[in-house]
Amino acid sequence: MTNIAMICDFFHPNVGGVENHIYMLAVNLMNRGHKVIVITHSHPPDRVGIRWLVPGLKVYYIPLRTIASSATLPDFFAFLPYFRTIILRERIELVHGHASLSALANEGILHAHWFGIRTVFTDHSIFGFADAASILTNKLLEATLRNVDGVICVSYTARENTVLRAALVPRIVHVIPSALLTDQFRPAEVPPPTDIINIVVISRLVYRKGIDLLVATAPRVCARFPNVRFLVGGSGPKLIELLQMREKHLLQDRITLLGPVRHADVRGVLIKGSIFLNTSLTESFGIAILEAACAGLYVVSTRVGGTPEVLPEDMISFAKPDEDVDVMRALEEAIQIVSQNKHDPIRAHERIKEFYNWGQVADRTEVVYNSILQSEPRDLWTRMQRTLSLGPFVGLIYLGMLVVDWVFFMLLEHIILPRDQLDYVERDWDLKRFRQVSHS
Amino acid sequence: MSTEITWEKVLWKRQPYPDNYVPESFLSELRRNTNFSPYTYSAVILASCMIAQHLSALFIFLAVFARLYNETLDPRLLVGLTICCNLLGYILGELLESQSQTSRVETRAKMLKSIIFIVVALVILSPGLRTLTAATSSDSIWAISACLFILNTLLADYEATPPDKLYTTRLSSASVISINAAVFSSVVLASRLSTNNAVFALTLFSFHLFALFPFIRLRLQAYPSIIRIGFTTFMITLSLYLIASLSVFVVSLLILGYILVLFISPAILVWAQGHKNEIRGPWDVAVPHLR
Repeated sequence: MTNIAMICDFFHPNVGGVENHIYMLAVNLMNRGHKVIVITHSHPPDRVGIRWLVPGLKVYYIPLRTIASSATLPDFFAFLPYFRTIILRERIELVHGHASLSALANEGILHAHWFGIRTVFTDHSIFGFADAASILTNKLLEATLRNVDGVICVSYTARENTVLRAALVPRIVHVIPSALLTDQFRPAEVPPPTDIINIVVISRLVYRKGIDLLVATAPRVCARFPNVRFLVGGSGPKLIELLQMREKHLLQDRITLLGPVRHADVRGVLIKGSIFLNTSLTESFGIAILEAACAGLYVVSTRVGGTPEVLPEDMISFAKPDEDVDVMRALEEAIQIVSQNKHDPIRAHERIKEFYNWGQVADRTEVVYNSILQSEPRDLWTRMQRTLSLGPFVGLIYLGMLVVDWVFFMLLEHIILPRDQLDYVERDWDLKRFRQVSHS
Repeated sequence: MSTEITWEKVLWKRQPYPDNYVPESFLSELRRNTNFSPYTYSAVILASCMIAQHLSALFIFLAVFARLYNETLDPRLLVGLTICCNLLGYILGELLESQSQTSRVETRAKMLKSIIFIVVALVILSPGLRTLTAATSSDSIWAISACLFILNTLLADYEATPPDKLYTTRLSSASVISINAAVFSSVVLASRLSTNNAVFALTLFSFHLFALFPFIRLRLQAYPSIIRIGFTTFMITLSLYLIASLSVFVVSLLILGYILVLFISPAILVWAQGHKNEIRGPWDVAVPHLR
């Protein structure tokens, strides 16, 4: 039994893949008897301070300003006083940061070593190496992960990417895929009709999701197969292009645009169709195709990032992401498979149930935690040397930050808020007791 | 037992390997320096001729200004030379450009109109320009014009344009700023001169050198390298000759500058290419080609 703190800028009340992942992982670790808390930034005016989420997950909302996309400013020091108090109060033994663009996660890993506690980092996304934003954030990640104890990635491709970006030893990087609540994505009780085939697309309508490919292929598919309809959920800047395409080819009765779909309603949309189309240009894991496959749809996806690893070959058709003609070919293949009833939704659902569940994710994460807790931590001198080896220029900057952080920590320890003045948490939430009481 | 099952790069089944297992195929899809074609030293030198030409034009202008300022050059001679260069450039352009357009007469008429407009405007404005910065000390003017010429040199368009696009590419905003900086700088310099004629001559000369010359420079790229090298050598020699009689120190600096631009910098670029490490792999954002 370990006391674990999950740290990430992206958490409830925001919604998204990372947010959901952290919540599900935390709950499943709690089910295994660990104590888990979440530390994230506050959402003024009302979501501040300490909140509890069902079934007893304690969340600290830290009063730090966000700068963009719900991420806080990476200033490296402002978080330390809050972090120290929480870590000590809750008697945390292991810090688990999520998402490389989360400043809190980066800072948490930097500060954690002062308390002698161990660090794990989960990278949820993949980045290139060529553009200025990637170069800067990759350097930041490399500095953060210089002294991390363990890293988790969601797919093998993402792992190769993270190892390259952060210059890591591959051995400390683990691959644990995300999972889903299979019961929330049951196939339709009445299987969808085969005379009319609905192709479902649920995605943010942005360039990176390959909406250009959808705009190019949808009219051709409609012209070729008179029995095919499109259902498109989601919104974004590319919506206009979809609307223009629909108007130009007079496909108002064949292509339905549903607007934004809440996560709770995704299954309702999915089960109306028999083929799911994902045109992403980059994807680290592709939870959307997993949800669709779980709901019994045959999946057509571009072969990008981690998507080729997610599903067995007979449940998915791949298209080359750089050619719209190939997306067309893959869709034709899928339409044939579906119209000949070669794809069994119920069986697909059962198989996904075997492969992916949160219990397994928590088990595998636990293995990572245990191996890290048994390993020998690095002392300050080693950490300083490793930081300095980041590079002749960056190394000095980060070494300076490390030293300043240490001085700040010492001030907090001895002058500003000594440990004997802290209020410690004496009684934790007892999940087992809660379950007993709530069920009786 | 576990070693008999080969590892697969899939997430959908549990494999008898730990989660941090590093397979043989790790990073096998990594591609390095794809689409990379190394530059040759001679090609880079040829491309940096553009920069040398720009530098020499700049220093020719400064030398001419210094002579006008010292009153060792007759402004009328400068106007005459400028007009000669203009006519020569125009005739050469007409001869070399093999365009057969019916609208040629129309463009010529337009061109004539704008030439008359510019010249008349300059003549009218010259007295005003001469006294424009009378209240400002000369030191500030040298500083301003130096800054503006540095801006002009930094932002000028040295890009190698493919021959088929030479007549269709539009000026980038950077090169527009560059031209404006140079013209502004020459206007403030002209305001230091003592006679209206000198002001007119210098401003007209600067228009040719900073607004018209870049176009010739750009179009010159379509011609064989021997012509480009010859032209660059001519410009460099002219600039050195004109500066030499003014200051030996500046000439030696200029020679160093030319060597740096033409020989050392290309060598550094060619050497640095050996360290190029561009990483590509399955994580890159795909670029869809739509038909």
